[in-house]
Amino acid sequence: MKAKLLVTLLTCAVASISFADELKVGSEAPAFTLKDSTGKEHSLADFKGKFVVLEWFNEGCPFVKKHYTSGNMQKLQGEYTGKDVVWLSINSSAPGEQGHMTAESTPKTMSEWKIKATQILFDHDGKVGKMYGAKTTPHMFVIDKEGKLAYQGAIDSKASANTADLADAENYVKVALDSTMAGKPVSNASTKPYGCSVKYAK
Amino acid sequence: MNRMSTWRSLAISLVAVVLAVSPAHVASAQTYQGRELVTAELVADTTTIVAGQPFTVGLLLRMAPHWHTYWKFPGDAGIATEIKWNLPPGWQVGEIQWPTPLRLVEPGDIHVYGYHDEVLLMQQITPPASLPAGPVKLAAEANWLVCEKICIPGSATVELEVPTAGSGAPANDELFVRFRRALPQPWPADDVAAATWSRAGSELQLKVKSSALAQHPVVEFHPLPPNEKIVVGHPSVQRDAEGVTIRVPVETDDPKLTSLGGIVVFGHSAEAPDRNAWQLGTQPGTPSAPSIQPRVDSRGIMQFLLFGVIGGFILNLMPCVLPVISLKIFGFIQHAGHDRRRIFRSGLAFVAGIFVWFIALAVLLIGIKSAGGEIGWAVQFTNPYFVLGMSVIVLVFALNLFGVFEITLPQRANRGVMTWTSGEGNAASFFQGVFATILGTSCTAPVLGTAVGFALSQSSAVILLMFLAIAAGMSAPYLLLSAQPAWVKLLPKPGAWMERVKQLMGFPMLATLVFLLYVLGEQRGLAALIWVLCFLLVVSLACWMKGAFITPLASASTRAIVLALMLLLVLGSGAYFIGGKFAATKLETTATKADGDWIPFTPERLDAELARGAAVFIDFTAAWCVTCKFNKATVLDTEAVREAFARRGIVKIKADWTNADPAITKILKQFGRPGVPLYVLYPAGNSVEPIVLPELLTKNIVLETL
Repeated sequence: MKAKLLVTLLTCAVASISFADELKVGSEAPAFTLKDSTGKEHSLADFKGKFVVLEWFNEGCPFVKKHYTSGNMQKLQGEYTGKDVVWLSINSSAPGEQGHMTAESTPKTMSEWKIKATQILFDHDGKVGKMYGAKTTPHMFVIDKEGKLAYQGAIDSKASANTADLADAENYVKVALDSTMAGKPVSNASTKPYGCSVKYAK
Repeated sequence: MNRMSTWRSLAISLVAVVLAVSPAHVASAQTYQGRELVTAELVADTTTIVAGQPFTVGLLLRMAPHWHTYWKFPGDAGIATEIKWNLPPGWQVGEIQWPTPLRLVEPGDIHVYGYHDEVLLMQQITPPASLPAGPVKLAAEANWLVCEKICIPGSATVELEVPTAGSGAPANDELFVRFRRALPQPWPADDVAAATWSRAGSELQLKVKSSALAQHPVVEFHPLPPNEKIVVGHPSVQRDAEGVTIRVPVETDDPKLTSLGGIVVFGHSAEAPDRNAWQLGTQPGTPSAPSIQPRVDSRGIMQFLLFGVIGGFILNLMPCVLPVISLKIFGFIQHAGHDRRRIFRSGLAFVAGIFVWFIALAVLLIGIKSAGGEIGWAVQFTNPYFVLGMSVIVLVFALNLFGVFEITLPQRANRGVMTWTSGEGNAASFFQGVFATILGTSCTAPVLGTAVGFALSQSSAVILLMFLAIAAGMSAPYLLLSAQPAWVKLLPKPGAWMERVKQLMGFPMLATLVFLLYVLGEQRGLAALIWVLCFLLVVSLACWMKGAFITPLASASTRAIVLALMLLLVLGSGAYFIGGKFAATKLETTATKADGDWIPFTPERLDAELARGAAVFIDFTAAWCVTCKFNKATVLDTEAVREAFARRGIVKIKADWTNADPAITKILKQFGRPGVPLYVLYPAGNSVEPIVLPELLTKNIVLETL
């Protein structure tokens, strides 16, 4: 009996060690510092004590377009930045890949698309994206006031590139933000994100 | 000039009309920046549609070089291709049959599952039994995502016009053969590959014991998570001589998730034509189908406990229990005038015997279950030595009832009359209870099958509750009689008639023996049965010797000699007839014996019939299953039902579980059943969930289900 318990404990320990590199909901959100289009640096640590949303962004991706042409993403950005949430849209598209943003293109996209994110940050070497395990655009992360990951995954429950599906989709990011901001645990804190693959450098 | 253009426009419209009605399948193309990325068209595997006959239609997607579309589970990114059918009412369409995809790794360690070059997504279509004249137009809207470096959604409305006729010929052979070959195969039998899932924290582990699998240079697991709330990481595959271990990191709120559907892909290289795949968990004939829950949950536990109580009560009337019970009732009658407390105590002891046996049984089953073993009600009947042991017990008891000999316990030897089965001591009562219950549980499958089956699929607490309910039902009459001895007065007065009734009760015991011997014959054949009968004959002789010579009046030396002789006879014949002759007989391969127009079950046969789109009815049965026999005689083999089967072209398969064929056990488990009977109808066209019929069939139930 004791031996069995020991084996079980060992197995759990080994399992947790071998997957320590996979970012888990409830664990510390890894620190990062990224530049915006003007070259100014922003660190996650700067926003300590605030709720933070990370959104992986590729303006060429049809799934991202679905949420911007419909105004769905901007509405969400506006609503929560209005509640003092920090919204960081991260661009991990490598140079030469789809959706790669530059100092010149970014302000234009921001104004044309009426993006209401706090910042758009460049992660062109993909380091932060890989650290967070960002797979798709969009891939959403919610970080709570204590700097712990509260949600990771899809923006909503309808995996499609069709704007018509927005109407009856459950917005997981909204649900996660509302719960964690109310001090409640997030149900379905991890979902499978959908979209184009993040266009990392080869 | 004017005239010319009139002619021209007329010709153009004619061409347009011809194009519109010809049975052509015009490919629809998705273009991007002047490049054709994907063409989509519908193809059918038949030249003509025949009313009521299922056929297969495929969406053929051809991708530009390096571009890919996605599998059912796209992986880290991407979206599965979608097909929305627009069929006339009465037409049915099956699930998409997805060929085994490639695992593609994109920069940033993003793994996706999809298809390069060309893929055919097949679906079975079943037209209604009657069709209007003229060609039929099949139309669907297809949506897909095609990616290379970038991703572009595509969609098309695809149409296919097929003529209708009385018979059809195969079409597009090459294409369908190629892509059917690329479909994952059903999971093989346990001796080829035995799969077990376990979970440790946030990791699911799939162990596949298969030397065949271990030999392939490439083994991959492509998961099929049931929804987006179960997030799977990249599976890793570890190989040893015995097989492979696949680890899948999962993130989910569901602590009960212990397995995943998916396919195990293997081959000499990761390239398409070289590979094979086995489907785990979502198709018939495969283990670990977490989606098929026993459909009993809604009926509620209370109702099943009630079944348990009623079933327990009915146990008293079973031919193998009634004799023991009648002796107990005699005990009540004989002591009707005696001390009330003594009767009460003896009754309680009897009831305690019943409860102890059922609790022991429940604990045993819970133990086996938590150790991961397979359990089933009446599964002990699949062991011929158990049936043999039962036969001996039943025969000896019958001889005792006939008065051939008396069973005596040493301290009661001087009383001469049968004691422990009719005695009134508390210990005797207790063992009577145990004995009655042992006999009872051995012939309860027909009565308690459903209730116990339900219990076995539930938690330990429910299993225990269920068995307690059965015990309560079985002991209710004695508890009442013990508590209200006045009611005993309603029973007849004791007298010589009791000896007659006792003898009469020997016959139900012999009837039980006939049944047990029939089961043995089905399991091991006629020769084995004859050896068992020889042994039983010697046992009967030994019983007679005991009755004739080991009496209280016989001298101690006579008793010792006869006892030694008896032992010698029984052990000697046991060693010779059972240990030698019987053990040497081969397992009767009931599975391959045809039974009238019933086809013997093999997983391959079932899969083949289902792949063909046929409606299949499976009768899960066993020689020792009384309910099965009853259903067969009164329903399945009646003229009306046979005719209904024949008229609808339903393939009848008989799955004989007499010897606990593991392939059959696996399917029983999928339907949440611990044993037989089970009746399942797979409707034609593969599109609908299989229908499970009740354990006790009536003609109406079957005819309506058909």
